[in-house]
Amino acid sequence: MTTRRKVTCAVLAVGLIAFGIWAANRISGLSEDTQATNPLFRWEYLFTRERTPEELWQNTREHLELTVWSVLIGIVLSAVLSALVLRFRWLRAAIFTFAGVLYTIPSIALFAILSTYNSNFTAAIIALTSYTLLILTRNFVAGIDAVPQAALDAADGLGMSRVQRLAKVEIPLAMPVILTGIRVATVTVVGLVGISAVIQLGGLATYIFDGYNRNYPTLMVLGTVATIILAVALDLVIRGVEWVATPWAHRRVAR
Amino acid sequence: MSALLAQTGDPTNFWQWMTDSSERTVTGDIPSQVWTTLWHSVLAFAIAAAIAIPLAAVLAHFRRAEVLSTWLVNIGRLIPTVTIVAVFVLISLRNGYGFEPWPIVIALVLLAIPPLYANTYTAVRDASPEAVGAARAMGLTELEILRQVELPLATPLILAASRVAITQVVATEALAALFGGTGLGQYITFGIANRDIYEVQAGAILVAGLAITVDLVFWFVTRFLVPKPLRPAPSSHRAMKASRPTRSIAIPTPSLGGNP
Repeated sequence: MTTRRKVTCAVLAVGLIAFGIWAANRISGLSEDTQATNPLFRWEYLFTRERTPEELWQNTREHLELTVWSVLIGIVLSAVLSALVLRFRWLRAAIFTFAGVLYTIPSIALFAILSTYNSNFTAAIIALTSYTLLILTRNFVAGIDAVPQAALDAADGLGMSRVQRLAKVEIPLAMPVILTGIRVATVTVVGLVGISAVIQLGGLATYIFDGYNRNYPTLMVLGTVATIILAVALDLVIRGVEWVATPWAHRRVAR
Repeated sequence: MSALLAQTGDPTNFWQWMTDSSERTVTGDIPSQVWTTLWHSVLAFAIAAAIAIPLAAVLAHFRRAEVLSTWLVNIGRLIPTVTIVAVFVLISLRNGYGFEPWPIVIALVLLAIPPLYANTYTAVRDASPEAVGAARAMGLTELEILRQVELPLATPLILAASRVAITQVVATEALAALFGGTGLGQYITFGIANRDIYEVQAGAILVAGLAITVDLVFWFVTRFLVPKPLRPAPSSHRAMKASRPTRSIAIPTPSLGGNP
């Protein structure tokens, strides 16, 4: 995609979002009266004496903490699982089915049932980690599988051991796919952390629930926009890592 | 919370909760709640499929709007599910349409569209160019090519995507209960509110069980909907190997932010 097209798309998207907010504002009130007393969004309502920017920062930190921990644990577990899949091919179906079933379980159910046995934080981490497993394992395995045979033969020809080959040839060549998996998993988890507000864990989605319960739409907009910004920021960070980690592939990583 | 939950009085157990309706705080029996959840999900899925699949198929046949599917998936992943449900319920309430079913169904439709659209687009675009060329050479019109060649070739991926989508829709329907809707999620939210540990567990198991059941049923049905020549041959090792590329394609990326 050329830069010009990217700019066009971005401008279009911003315009679309602005139009959406404006339209929602127009159609969301019963009458001009409701519009005047309780609009969907108003800057003055964003922060009050008890709801300070510090609280927003605190919630963002909690959100980030949950996301980072669960993705890190997910990466470790998925690395083990993919190693098993790559070493023992017959485990492939079993492991992917297992991860698929975990992925199918609704997050709200998982949070609820785990929180009756564990502390809330542990419950959330277990649940969120279990959702990253499918995405991560599939990308790890696909990445390593896609390493060209010629590269493997060359590595063998140089006299590399199994471990050396994995560390110096297979993992670097699979890096783009692996990092794409990590990126998708992270963005997914940022969205899912929102549901963990059900078990009173904080995070940015508290704003959404609070705003809904108190009929205070500005708070809901704040929670949503903050979550999206956090997700986009993490996405960009991982793209940056991808760019740095694969200096030879800047052309191919367009994904 | 577990400490709080443990404090509650009457030590009933999970099975007692399931069988004895006097223990429950939610009105309405389990089958009717299952039914509510199911019809919300199926309606939403049907609407989403009716919008997304034809649109994607036509656009993919004429190779238009290639960026749209990537954008849809990315945006679907970025916007938290909770937000979509909450915003629609709020707008509906402010306009006097009540808690359900429309706000929830519309939210679910929006959630189901990205995976359906993106996967249909990919499937139709990647339909074997030789087959399409042969059909064109035989004098089929463009719409006939789409309907008789490309769509049948695309069925495995479209059905796999549908399975992902409907499972996510069923799973997400439980969130509706957080915003005043009905359905199985009510057991979880009411259980948390009343600190009734067995209600929470039962609700969670019911929601998860329904999602997994729908997934399995759809998987089973899918096997009969795929055109015969495209079904993976079950028997010999060689056939398995030959069908592997198709199978790895047929498992679509469950996009849309793992929103279950």
